Amino acid sequence: MANHSTSHPTHVQHHFVDADQQFDSAKMGMWVFLVNEILFFGGLFCAYIVYRSWYPELFTEAALELNTFWGAVNTVVLIGSSLTVAMAIRSVQKDQIKGLKINLLITIALAIVFMVIKGFEYSHKFHLGIFPGEFYTFEGLEHAKAPIFFSIYYMLTGVHALHVLIGIGLIYWIYRRAVRGDFSSEYYTPVEITGLYWHLVDLIWIFLFPLLYLIE
Amino acid sequence: MSGNSHENHHHVSTAGQLWAVGTALLILTIITVVLAKFVTIPAPFDIITAISIAVVKAGLVAAFFMNLYWDTKFNAMLLLMAVAFFMLMVLITLLDTLYRVDVVPSF
Repeated sequence: MANHSTSHPTHVQHHFVDADQQFDSAKMGMWVFLVNEILFFGGLFCAYIVYRSWYPELFTEAALELNTFWGAVNTVVLIGSSLTVAMAIRSVQKDQIKGLKINLLITIALAIVFMVIKGFEYSHKFHLGIFPGEFYTFEGLEHAKAPIFFSIYYMLTGVHALHVLIGIGLIYWIYRRAVRGDFSSEYYTPVEITGLYWHLVDLIWIFLFPLLYLIE
Repeated sequence: MSGNSHENHHHVSTAGQLWAVGTALLILTIITVVLAKFVTIPAPFDIITAISIAVVKAGLVAAFFMNLYWDTKFNAMLLLMAVAFFMLMVLITLLDTLYRVDVVPSF
């Protein structure tokens, strides 16, 4: 125990045994948060499942208003951004800080591409009068419950898009810290944890895409 | 001792592995779009196929991008518990909503 305090690198807080324990604790904490996130989105997915079981024909009809091509492009964009986050973590693990910074910037760029495409999709729908709930004025769908489909659509994709925006902010923060020289293969916990968050955002979209865009 | 555990804890994937996972995700995305748009699969198997492919994709992301394959089993358990409790929530909700005599009118 005598060398316990002297062997501590500066980033290890005094209540942890060593850097590994601190890293594992932080990562487990993030996983507990991700459990929370999954159940948070789970409530929205549950609403989707209930309404689809009640009105299957509504989902087939209304999904035609969604553009499969741009949904697929956004899926590829998010998969690409997950790959660059994984590459960023690999870079920092190998002390390649330049690679870390480049991969983080590509990730931010891909996230912005995702948001721009989502913005065009939303503005096209707003132009048609496809608003959520009582603000819905679109005439093109026969089904009386059509506003409900789009309420679910806007809730699921809107909360997901909010996560993308927060992710952009977090990854930019990680980038600034990387520029400042905070990270090395010895200490990269915030990179790892932000990466986990970003992969979850990708995971949610992996389910949103077939559930919303690919109904025939 | 801490040197050894350091090696064990921090798995570094090769660039090839990460690109392979990314490529697999891309191919699965193409497959799911082609199946949905150009192949007629009778309901409910169209949904089952689409969700099965999504589960495989999610598994790849969780195992190799989120590193669960090399991580402590505890974190994988947390993810599986989240999925289990999500399914429980859906199941209990459907036990109500599927067996209502009349759907509540305003819903």
